[in-house]
Amino acid sequence: MATITEEPAATAGVEAGEARSHWSRAWARFKANRLAFVSLIFCGLLIVTALAAPWIAPYHFSETDPDARLAPLGTEGHLLGTDLLGRDIFSRLIYGLRTALFVAFGAELASLVVAILIGLSAGYIGGRVDQGLMGITDVMYAFPSYLFAIVLVTVMGRSLWAVMLAIGISSWVTQARLVRAQVLTVKEREYVEAARSMGASGTTISLRYILPNAIGPLLVTTSFAIPAAIGAEAGLALLGLGVQPPTPSWGSMISEGTSYILAAPHLLFLPAALFALTLLAFTWVGDGIRDAFDTSGEDR
Amino acid sequence: MSFMTYLGKRVMRMVLSLTAVSMITFTLLQLAPGNFADIQRISAGAAQFGGSGTEDMVHAFASRYGDDIPAWRQYLIFMKGAVTWDFGPSYKYPTQDVQDIIAQGFPISATIALIAVALSLLIAIPIGVYAAVRQNSPADHGTMFLITLGTALPNYLTGVILVLFFTLTLGVLPSSGWAGPHYMIMPVLALVLGPTAVLARYVRSSMLETLREEYVVAALAKGGPRSTVIMRHALRNSLIPIVTVLGPLLASLMTGTVFVEALFRIPGLGLYFAQAAASRDMPLLMGTALFFALILMTMNLIVDLVYGYLDPRIRAAGGVSRWRRSQKSPLRQPA
Repeated sequence: MATITEEPAATAGVEAGEARSHWSRAWARFKANRLAFVSLIFCGLLIVTALAAPWIAPYHFSETDPDARLAPLGTEGHLLGTDLLGRDIFSRLIYGLRTALFVAFGAELASLVVAILIGLSAGYIGGRVDQGLMGITDVMYAFPSYLFAIVLVTVMGRSLWAVMLAIGISSWVTQARLVRAQVLTVKEREYVEAARSMGASGTTISLRYILPNAIGPLLVTTSFAIPAAIGAEAGLALLGLGVQPPTPSWGSMISEGTSYILAAPHLLFLPAALFALTLLAFTWVGDGIRDAFDTSGEDR
Repeated sequence: MSFMTYLGKRVMRMVLSLTAVSMITFTLLQLAPGNFADIQRISAGAAQFGGSGTEDMVHAFASRYGDDIPAWRQYLIFMKGAVTWDFGPSYKYPTQDVQDIIAQGFPISATIALIAVALSLLIAIPIGVYAAVRQNSPADHGTMFLITLGTALPNYLTGVILVLFFTLTLGVLPSSGWAGPHYMIMPVLALVLGPTAVLARYVRSSMLETLREEYVVAALAKGGPRSTVIMRHALRNSLIPIVTVLGPLLASLMTGTVFVEALFRIPGLGLYFAQAAASRDMPLLMGTALFFALILMTMNLIVDLVYGYLDPRIRAAGGVSRWRRSQKSPLRQPA
């Protein structure tokens, strides 16, 4: 979702400055941004780690070791120590990563689908439909999104899917507005007019002719929404409203860590550090994508 | 459109939105599994009900919590009180009315939020201006890095980092609680980074844009000292767009303090909201949700009005949103 796949044929002449498509030029600019490129590789590693968690983690996330409670760093068998119940921190961090990424990517996919549906219909059909749908987004705008997510989680329970949906449903508004604005700017262009005159249906026009124009800006907002969703997941867990224990979440690990800050500071330090690194990497990728698509100058 | 018609329309929209928020929250709460009495029995056990006779108490509570009347009547009864700012007693804190809880918790949230915004303005404007004036210098890159940190790290994570540093390493500040001014330091610092980043980003890009305006070029061409031109001509005008972010920022801070409140165990309003949702405390949840929504909408309205006052061009165009859209189109010179 947040990555751009390279098309070998299209990137061939970038160095000579004769890139063929908008996308290949954006990708060339992205690659030239070293921080963004390294971050992208790091994010890729994180995603692979999350997918392969059961094979990488030495223990299951709920497996307790009664002989090694609150073990410090470097304990044999538990390199990063254990928590109060004797659960391996390294394994829980990796499973926490899995939770965070699953929730974040799922939530953004859900919110993207809702945003595109609502934004497209509001912008394309216009009139009453537009007013109605924008009325809904106005109400959603008035509802602080974190608070809405909190209410939704209480309704849907605290399963992985529920948390994912709650974050997704509470974060589509900005993107829906973006899609609508994009639709309005291209709706009256000649090529859309041409498609309409050839008898293309409303669905075809919006999906094939209008939507592709919105993909660039949507990619940018989505790439920033991913770290925000990771933060929201951990935030809910911090409040005790996130994914149901014993499924690990960095938020609940941080919350537990604050209770043993003097006895076992690594319980707080490790999840916080990994969390911060992950968020920064995803944000740098987002920065890179934004700069790659922004051709207006240096100042944004 | 006259000012009063505009204001009237906006207030009407606010009332409609608030009604919608109340209906959504109430419906969702009805759909939520378990009611207040159940949750209390499960989570707090018999202790909450005074040890013995739990079943009888639960029955007695059923009528008090309105479980014996249809939901729509429950909603109407609540809303009838709500319009006169009387939300009734909370379920979880039966001795307190919800509006009293709001009156207690909100000043705490608002205090840390306001101090945080004031501080972030004090930090963001100078560094934003400096970064813009020295575009692409190390200072500019440093500012951009700070901005990335501020956008990437949620306030509670900044809070954790502060705790690790001040409490654990230096041992100077208490890690949680609310018993004096020094308990405010870390929560405020945790909240400052995010808004500072947002504001500095706006100040910087707005300043960069203003510096290219003809009147700035003209002032420089007439031989005005660079610093005077920047302070007197450019800064003033480039601060106008900041007003638009300030409102939503303040509102989101006031409501977004919930995580910092949870981390530092501060009895602010956000914490009450989270508790109310978890325990299905209908009046408290509805009351706080409506209150937050009201703040958010009022802030947006005030921002639009102030913005129109500061920049007469917007009044002519009929609103901030239209202005913002049209502002994208003027030809911008490539850097």
